Amino acid sequence: MAENNIIVLEDIRRSFPTAAGEFRALKGINAKIPEGSLVILKGRSGSGKTTLLNIIGALDNPTSGKVYLEDRDMGKFSDRRKENFRRTKLGYVFQSVSLIPTMNALQNVEFSLRLAGIRRDREKRAIECLKMVGLGGRIKHMPAEMSGGEQQRVAIARAIAHRPSILLADEPTAELDSAMAAEVTKLFQEMTKKEGVTIIMTTHDVGLMDAGDMVIELEGGEQVNVPKEAAEEE
Amino acid sequence: MLKVMFQKIWHKRWMVFSLLLGSILLSATVVSFPMYKKAAFDRMLQDEFYNYLTEKGEWPGLLKFTMVSKKDAEGKSIQRMKDLMNSIYKDMGVTERETLAYYSLATAEVKSEMQRDDVGDINIRLSSMTNLPEHAEMLAGEMFSEDGLSDDGCIEVVISQSCMVNTKVLVGESLTFTALKHADGKPIRIKVVGIYDKKESTDFYWQVSPEQMNNVFLMKDNLFEEYFHGANAKKYTITCNYFPMFEYEDCTAKASEKLYAYTTDLVENSVYRSTVDLPGYLEVLENFNKKQDRIEATLFILQIPVLILLCAFLFMIASQMYDMERNEISVLKSRGGSGSQILRLYFYQSVFTTLIGTVLGLQLGKLFCSILGSARNFLEFNLSTELNVEFTEETLQYALVAAMVSILVMTLPALKHSRLTIVKLKQQKAARSKALWEKLFLDVICLGVALYGYYSFSKNQELLAVDVLKGEALDPLLYLSSSLFIVGLGLLFLRLQPYVIRLIYGIGKSFWGPASYASFIENIKNNSKQHFIMLFMILTVALGMYHATVARTILQNAKDNVAYLEGADLIVKEIWTENSALASQAGAGEFQYFEPDYNKYAKLDFVESYTRVIFDEGAYLKGSKNTRQDITLMGIHTKEFGGITHVDSELLEKEYYEYLNELAVEANGVLVSRNFATKLDYKVGDSITFYGSLGKPVHAKIIDFVDYWPGYEPVTTTLNADGSVSSKDNFYLIAHYQVLRKEWGVTPYEVWMSLKDGASADQIAPWLEENDVHLAKYMDKDAEIEKVVQDPLLQGTNGVLTMSFMVTLVLCAAGYLIYWIMSIRSREMIFGVLRASGMHKGEVFHMLINEQIFSGLTSILAGVGIGKLTSKMFVPMIQSAYAAADQVLPMKLITNPMDMVRLYGVVAAVMVVCLAVLILLVFKMNIAKALKLGEE
Repeated sequence: MAENNIIVLEDIRRSFPTAAGEFRALKGINAKIPEGSLVILKGRSGSGKTTLLNIIGALDNPTSGKVYLEDRDMGKFSDRRKENFRRTKLGYVFQSVSLIPTMNALQNVEFSLRLAGIRRDREKRAIECLKMVGLGGRIKHMPAEMSGGEQQRVAIARAIAHRPSILLADEPTAELDSAMAAEVTKLFQEMTKKEGVTIIMTTHDVGLMDAGDMVIELEGGEQVNVPKEAAEEE
Repeated sequence: MLKVMFQKIWHKRWMVFSLLLGSILLSATVVSFPMYKKAAFDRMLQDEFYNYLTEKGEWPGLLKFTMVSKKDAEGKSIQRMKDLMNSIYKDMGVTERETLAYYSLATAEVKSEMQRDDVGDINIRLSSMTNLPEHAEMLAGEMFSEDGLSDDGCIEVVISQSCMVNTKVLVGESLTFTALKHADGKPIRIKVVGIYDKKESTDFYWQVSPEQMNNVFLMKDNLFEEYFHGANAKKYTITCNYFPMFEYEDCTAKASEKLYAYTTDLVENSVYRSTVDLPGYLEVLENFNKKQDRIEATLFILQIPVLILLCAFLFMIASQMYDMERNEISVLKSRGGSGSQILRLYFYQSVFTTLIGTVLGLQLGKLFCSILGSARNFLEFNLSTELNVEFTEETLQYALVAAMVSILVMTLPALKHSRLTIVKLKQQKAARSKALWEKLFLDVICLGVALYGYYSFSKNQELLAVDVLKGEALDPLLYLSSSLFIVGLGLLFLRLQPYVIRLIYGIGKSFWGPASYASFIENIKNNSKQHFIMLFMILTVALGMYHATVARTILQNAKDNVAYLEGADLIVKEIWTENSALASQAGAGEFQYFEPDYNKYAKLDFVESYTRVIFDEGAYLKGSKNTRQDITLMGIHTKEFGGITHVDSELLEKEYYEYLNELAVEANGVLVSRNFATKLDYKVGDSITFYGSLGKPVHAKIIDFVDYWPGYEPVTTTLNADGSVSSKDNFYLIAHYQVLRKEWGVTPYEVWMSLKDGASADQIAPWLEENDVHLAKYMDKDAEIEKVVQDPLLQGTNGVLTMSFMVTLVLCAAGYLIYWIMSIRSREMIFGVLRASGMHKGEVFHMLINEQIFSGLTSILAGVGIGKLTSKMFVPMIQSAYAAADQVLPMKLITNPMDMVRLYGVVAAVMVVCLAVLILLVFKMNIAKALKLGEE
């Protein structure tokens, strides 16, 4: 079983020094996430979702506890290795639209391929990804010329273009209407199937809960439910 | 409102600081102009007066009135003159030095009271001079007493030596006028009490010298007035001479305006116009005014680019600031804040900044001014030079104008932006179009105008020389053309540069790493945002190079020219005595000069070597048709002369010493100037007969032609009274000293000397004294060169260009830094995204370096190229607009590698500081925080 768990979290704690003393954002999170699952990370704002996501994405380090990605202990990675891991194995979709405003849709996607060090067929792959998110006809558009939903889809295309094994999405649907949100979620489901990518998305949209293979709910930095084994569901 | 303003200022303190910097520099630059002008013109006026004093030997601040009062009832005409003397200094705006009134009664006969057979009729003038006892010393007898009368009631008088010789009267002798009577009819008796002479030989009091007063008997001045002025005047004819003298050293340039106006009116229109001589200082002032106008106009023209750059800087920073605050402004607007309220906020801020800027700027202006006044070359000062810097009303007026411009420029962007609501702003942000200058083809227009100017000036280059003779200022159009040329090329570069970048991007499209790729895209998309700062960099570097070349070229050429025309380090000619007086009396004796002792020159220990040079400007040739051709003759000792003088080999066809060698081996030979061949049709080998000024012939053979020779000016150009220009060819003939000496006997010569290193020609003074040497000619090369360096036009030019250069550098440094910091701040969110996507800090940094190369480095390189090209094209013309009328040597373009090192050094330092700040910002950058920024 263990070799199928692409992400393993062991007693993750994270605290921040504040003026009022130490603020404990995460108080011991444990999880085992199998490859190819769509994980919903839920909770109110301030519950620690984004902090956890940043730690999984190697953007932030836990105060204590261990993160294993593909069986590798992230705590032992140098910053450089972490960055390299990030650009090849991870993909990100942010809550706000995070496209580079000076690049068109195609360039934005191609850029992440460059970052991942991919040299061949970048343009082909980028177009393929944009088609996958349903934007095949708008590849030359600049971010400013697209709607919020379209921009978010470009961001998703960019996040998956270099075939990451893990896709992290922080409230990707927060700024979209419910139809679009459903569309994005559907896209995620398809991608876990088609590309075998593991997706972790945070959301507070209750309507999307059922879409996930696994739900981790946080409240005040603590896990409120025990995650169900995705394998069991299958 | 004020609270809001101060909060805003604190929030944007760095930007406000930059605005303040710009405001200080603007104000300092503007006020330094009138301050320098005043100090420099005061000094120049003093120099002009002093030159007049030394050249003419006359007190510069002198007026002469002559009037004859003929039996004038009540003495009104004298009273009128006295009134004038009382008010004239105040009306002229000068301080009185001394007023000499010299009154003389008409010549009248006196009879001695002693019975003397040796003396016939004596005709004398009874006269008086103001304050005579202070200026005279007694050779015999005494000065007249305090009341001016002797015990026996005679008027006491003193006479000069020449008067004594002429009239043969003796000290102690009493005389009585035969016809001249007192007003009450009693006879006038005088008694000679002493013989006087000047107390000091150089006293300007002696407008009429004692030697000239050979029949003048001087009596006490107020006694003269008592006896012959007022009501008594109707009985006498009195010649009245008035010599008001003012302290020229107290006369400032400003005061000279009043002096000039009053004097011209006095001479041309006043009731006194028939009594006054045209004063010598009027010409001094006219010359001064002309020079002053030229300098003022020239320096002003030279300052224009830096003033424009300063305004542009202020505008750029202010615009950036408003750009950053656009959202706030638009939100304020959308929420109902009135446009005028917002405008007022910015207006107050501008006023506040400008106020501080002006106060500090006035102080900095003083420093600028002393830099201007101590400039010895481009970027070279001698701060020990005292320049009398002071604030005047004019300074404050300039400061006020600068302040108003500063406020206006700083508020201008707000005026533009305050009309926008958030909706319009978003629309505007979305619409990206070509910049206005690109659409208007401003680059092409600038270049077109500049090139038109270039060609019309280069076609009429002789006209520039005429303008110089006429004392006209640097033609603004010429300087404008060069400035427009730089701006035009700069803009053209901005137009073309993106295509080059696109091309490079296109060529390597598939190889570029993420950092290069991101920077290419950023540059291609956001290129127009950088235009302003890039143009600024280009202008800084190009103007810096151009100005450095202009300043160095003008000064160096002027110095070289003086050095060439002087010929040697030091040239002296003693006053030679001859026997002409004797010869004419004796009738038979041959005319002969007496040579002063030449051996004493060996005692000049600061002189390296010296030689005799016969320099005869009165020599001539007789042509085939017996036509006389004036020439200048030089008789030299070739070996000695070659060791003391020098001519650049590039000016001559052969090396200078080769000509000397040719002459050395041919005793009969002479070197002649090139125009002997071109104008007089002589050839090498032709026989030639020339005559010295005494008319004695020498037969010789032409061995070569020279284009240049120490001190030789091929053509003299002069400006005629009617404004036309005439030129005269000068013919030079160089022969052997020994040959001339043999043919003519002892002939007056000059001594040309070269000085030891570090020696100064002033050291000759004790030697002159010791050997009792009197000089007819004295030329000190270093002193002449120093005059060039100190010349207000050249010094001002150096100062203004240096100051502009430094101000531009500061602006460029500040502008570049601010631009980059702001640009990075505004893109923090994007950097966050890039970092989140796995970009290393190093790569972000690499990207920023790339951007700096695209904008900064290419701008600098373009600036260098443009600066070089502009210098090459325009400096020769600017130089001829500055050249003295006696510019002989061909223009040499002077660049100093050190200037470039300094320029590059400063630019490199700016870029390094900028990079350091970038590193700091990038490393401080927190990804999570940067992303949060994006969420707002």
